[in-house]
Amino acid sequence: MKIYETAVRKPVSTILLFIGVIVLGVFSLNRLSIDLYPEMEIPMLSVITSYPGAGAADIEQNITRRLEDNLNTVSNLKKITSRSQDNMSVVILQFEWGSSLDEASNDVRDALGRIERYLPEGADKPMIIKFSTSMMPVMYLYATAEESYNGLYKLLDEKIANPLNRIEGVGAVIISGSPVREVQVNVDPKKIEAYSLTIEQIGQVIAQENNNIPAGSMDIGSERLAIRVEGEFSESSDIGNVVIANYGGREIRISDVATVTDTVRKKTVEETINGERGVRVIVQKQSGANTVAIAEAIQKQLPELMKTLPPDVHIGVLFDTSTYITGSINSLTETVMYAFIFVVLVVLFFTGRWRATIIIALTIPVSLVTGFIYLMFFNGTINIISLSSLSIAICLVVDDAIVVLENIVKHIERGARPRDAAIYGTNEVWLAVVATTFTLLAVFLPLTMVGGLPGIMFKQLAWIISIVTTFSTVAAITLTPMLTARMLQFRPKQTYKGMGIIFKPIDKFLNGLDNLYARLLTWAVRHRTVTITGAILIFVSSIMLLSVVPTDFLPNSDSGQINATVELPVGANLEQTKAVAYRLEKTLIEKCPEIKRISISCGADDRAGFAALFGNSGSNAISYMIMLHDLQERKKNHQRGVEEVAEVMRQEIAKLPEVVKSAVSTDGGGGGMMGGGVEVKVFGYDFDQTTAIAKELADRMRTIEGTRDVTISREEMKMELQVDFDRDKLAKFGINTATAATFVRNRINGLTASLYREAGEEYDIVVRYDEPFRESIEDIQNIVFYNNQGRAIRLSEVANVVEHFNPPRIDREDRQRVVTVSAALSGAALGTVAAAAQIEIDQLDIPPGVDVVMSGSVKDQQEAFTDLLTLLALIVLLVYIVMATQFESFKLPFIIMLSVLFAFTGVFLALWITGTSLSMIAMIGAIMLVGIVVKNGIIIVDFTNLQRERGLSLNQAVITAGKSRLRPVLMTSVTTILGMIPLAVSSGEGAEIWSPMAISVIGGLTFSTLLTLLVVPAMYSAFNAGKIRVERAANRIDV
Amino acid sequence: MKAVFIVYGQSLTQPVGQLLDKLNIRGFTRWEEVHGRGSHQGEPHYGTHAWPSQNGSILSMMDDQKAEDLIFGLKRLNQQAEQQGLRAFVWEAESVV
Repeated sequence: MKIYETAVRKPVSTILLFIGVIVLGVFSLNRLSIDLYPEMEIPMLSVITSYPGAGAADIEQNITRRLEDNLNTVSNLKKITSRSQDNMSVVILQFEWGSSLDEASNDVRDALGRIERYLPEGADKPMIIKFSTSMMPVMYLYATAEESYNGLYKLLDEKIANPLNRIEGVGAVIISGSPVREVQVNVDPKKIEAYSLTIEQIGQVIAQENNNIPAGSMDIGSERLAIRVEGEFSESSDIGNVVIANYGGREIRISDVATVTDTVRKKTVEETINGERGVRVIVQKQSGANTVAIAEAIQKQLPELMKTLPPDVHIGVLFDTSTYITGSINSLTETVMYAFIFVVLVVLFFTGRWRATIIIALTIPVSLVTGFIYLMFFNGTINIISLSSLSIAICLVVDDAIVVLENIVKHIERGARPRDAAIYGTNEVWLAVVATTFTLLAVFLPLTMVGGLPGIMFKQLAWIISIVTTFSTVAAITLTPMLTARMLQFRPKQTYKGMGIIFKPIDKFLNGLDNLYARLLTWAVRHRTVTITGAILIFVSSIMLLSVVPTDFLPNSDSGQINATVELPVGANLEQTKAVAYRLEKTLIEKCPEIKRISISCGADDRAGFAALFGNSGSNAISYMIMLHDLQERKKNHQRGVEEVAEVMRQEIAKLPEVVKSAVSTDGGGGGMMGGGVEVKVFGYDFDQTTAIAKELADRMRTIEGTRDVTISREEMKMELQVDFDRDKLAKFGINTATAATFVRNRINGLTASLYREAGEEYDIVVRYDEPFRESIEDIQNIVFYNNQGRAIRLSEVANVVEHFNPPRIDREDRQRVVTVSAALSGAALGTVAAAAQIEIDQLDIPPGVDVVMSGSVKDQQEAFTDLLTLLALIVLLVYIVMATQFESFKLPFIIMLSVLFAFTGVFLALWITGTSLSMIAMIGAIMLVGIVVKNGIIIVDFTNLQRERGLSLNQAVITAGKSRLRPVLMTSVTTILGMIPLAVSSGEGAEIWSPMAISVIGGLTFSTLLTLLVVPAMYSAFNAGKIRVERAANRIDV
Repeated sequence: MKAVFIVYGQSLTQPVGQLLDKLNIRGFTRWEEVHGRGSHQGEPHYGTHAWPSQNGSILSMMDDQKAEDLIFGLKRLNQQAEQQGLRAFVWEAESVV
């Protein structure tokens, strides 16, 4: 017994099997987590080596280059970049997309093992850090406080950070900008000089006084008692009373030569939220953990945690990456629902039968849930890609069911009983149905094999569509006949009774359409030369359109978040920076009512460690994080989009004369790699040459329309004070450079003498010169230290203090020094700006030894487009093969392939009309079209063949087939087009990302359907006319 | 005794079988998938791409009276679903083993 026969004869098993699938699907759906994109771990590793005391150039020479030369041999390596700065070398290895980081880090470890011996002695062991998108913060919280401000760090650490850390999936909770308590011993250098004391001595005394030492134990009588010496300071003010020396029979206490203050550390970073002094709490997730789940858990726990805090501390959510994700997913889910409704309406419109519509509509949920099952088994998530694939799938899954149902209905109308009609009706068409599914698979299965970034994006899409459509075919030849046998009644023709009355005008309209099309088709077939030439002309002219449609990598989306960095001249101190920051904040709040929250961080946190790699570079830097109101809310109040607000901000920044460098970016939520901009790299060893070229290029790029925030990666030479010790003189005093340098460091930076303990917490006790004595070059020159013989040495005796310019950082890429000139885009497509930039590059006068190349998103775009084009060729070939085997002909698939060309015409046209750029997402739409539009061609050609086999003449066959296949073609096309409209016009959060795909599918399919309906029959007739003549001639000879 | 040969569009398989049962005609031989075309009108039943429908056929021997009832029943069946195609031919069964 065949599968459809079994299904019809065993309705209980059939229905239960499908219910089982649905249950499994719903179960999977509940288990699936939500995310923005499929998981795309950027395969990157960084190797961080610190070499204290070395300058950027030394680091480059002695560490970075050696590491690079060795690490370059690691397999799967795509790019190697490095950053050499004072004290530290960072080598970043970027691997091919999809390579395993575990394997890579093993390889890197091996490579490091080989090189470690050759690194300078003072250098620390290189550290490997895995780099991934999950390092990006999930959530920013802010805390503001009045009275408790000074104790905020401790409060937050205990009451907020620790509980949040216990939430499953939370990786790290970082508190940034909070004041840190410190006990300072500020020494007056004149006084200690008078007593011949040093900072080191004071430090030593403090360290020795502040001690608890167990002194063993003693048996007294029958008891054993422990003996302890409790020397630790019980209060910070005790420190002042410590005796450091005897001088002329008089005790000298610390308070005699220094002031002891229990205070907060001098801040290098200052955070404000909406103008209030506050603290930022950054929550990072563990790799692989779910953003939305974490954010939900935090949101749930926060109110409870807040109860434990003093009443003046306010905690709020500054930025929650999950809101954008859930917003996008919700609006996409909505469009999927709309697509479902549209598809059902279209089916009802064309079939005019309620029950038939229900049967077809049922295949949608049944097939779609298999997508969820797939996602669950392969650790997928509900994300933009998987959801848009479902909305595309909705339009495709009904096709098979429609074909099967139509044929069964035909049998019923001829008088067969539904049960028999179901079996024999399916028997007639099941092969054709399976064959069309194969064409779809020929398109989507190769998509699962793409590499690189597009591969990661499309893998889910391709698998979901492949699985869902395959399962829909299974449902179409089992569930559909079974349901038809049960549900459809024996009713020869539509009777227009009851509710059916509304179908009367529809039927009339459709009949009219049939006749109109038949007339048009007759004309087209008779004038096939005109038709075909016209079509070719349209296609050729559409290729011209390609030069007008701008290209892009990934569409920008309105996430309602602006991140900006503003830099003052190098060397500006925190106070100056803060002043500028708040002035800008004030004007922004005045000019942009869209702003909901504005958080500012001034200066750089010297304790943030790894985070410092991404953060500000010094006290001269300000970073803004601006949250706008929700998109819907902004739309309601007719407020501006994120890009326009950013533009206002750029203008305001331009008005500030203090600002030397600024960048305003509007991409958020999607993680770092989504930022599209033009990057030009200037390679070359000579600093002056490359800097000059980079500057000229930057000036030229500023003139290109659509560029914003043109920045040069190489920082200005940084002025620093260099203490040059004279080794000979030092040697005479018996001191080496390292010792002397430590002396200087202890006096300026401070010596952490010991730790002051209170209530289980430890605070640094820092000894150094009082602030008034470390403010000028003279202060450094006046530093006094003592050699082993106790002779006082003034620094000016043994060293010169000079002002010196030094490159703060040396960037390298692929083992060459590089300067990056980058520009953000505003209102212009990536491709256009890149082309203009290329022209500017060509006009540059580039000296030998310097290389200027395009990079950044442009390079990614080119790579992705090349990948996709190769793929397109492969897909076209596979589809051809599938069709050729189906028709057993070389010629017919070729005719059908024409509809693909017109689909591309439609894509270009739709993009052009809507002003959308050809991005990677639009390209996927175009590729999917190959599978969708050939279906139309197959339906027409197949039926024309059938008419020919039934003995009709060529032209008669073409016209009859066209007329009778008009409705199925329109039906499948219209379901897809209407199903895509909600996607194309949706304006919810994240809609910008998927609407290009929908636009290209709608444009391509509409255009190709209209042309296919005329051109394919005309071509069919043209191609076969020759054959018929040959056959006739052959027959004549035979007779 | 009469020999009745019935050829019908495949989807009439069950109604024809039920009719035989109803008339208590026990013995018959059935071919599930046979191909052919009518002399006057109707679509050919070839089971091919162009003519996908197929026929079923039954050959049965019965008493004269039963044959008459059967023909009557088949006629009604044919009228209900003329487009399915149903033909029956009756001739004398000279000897039966």
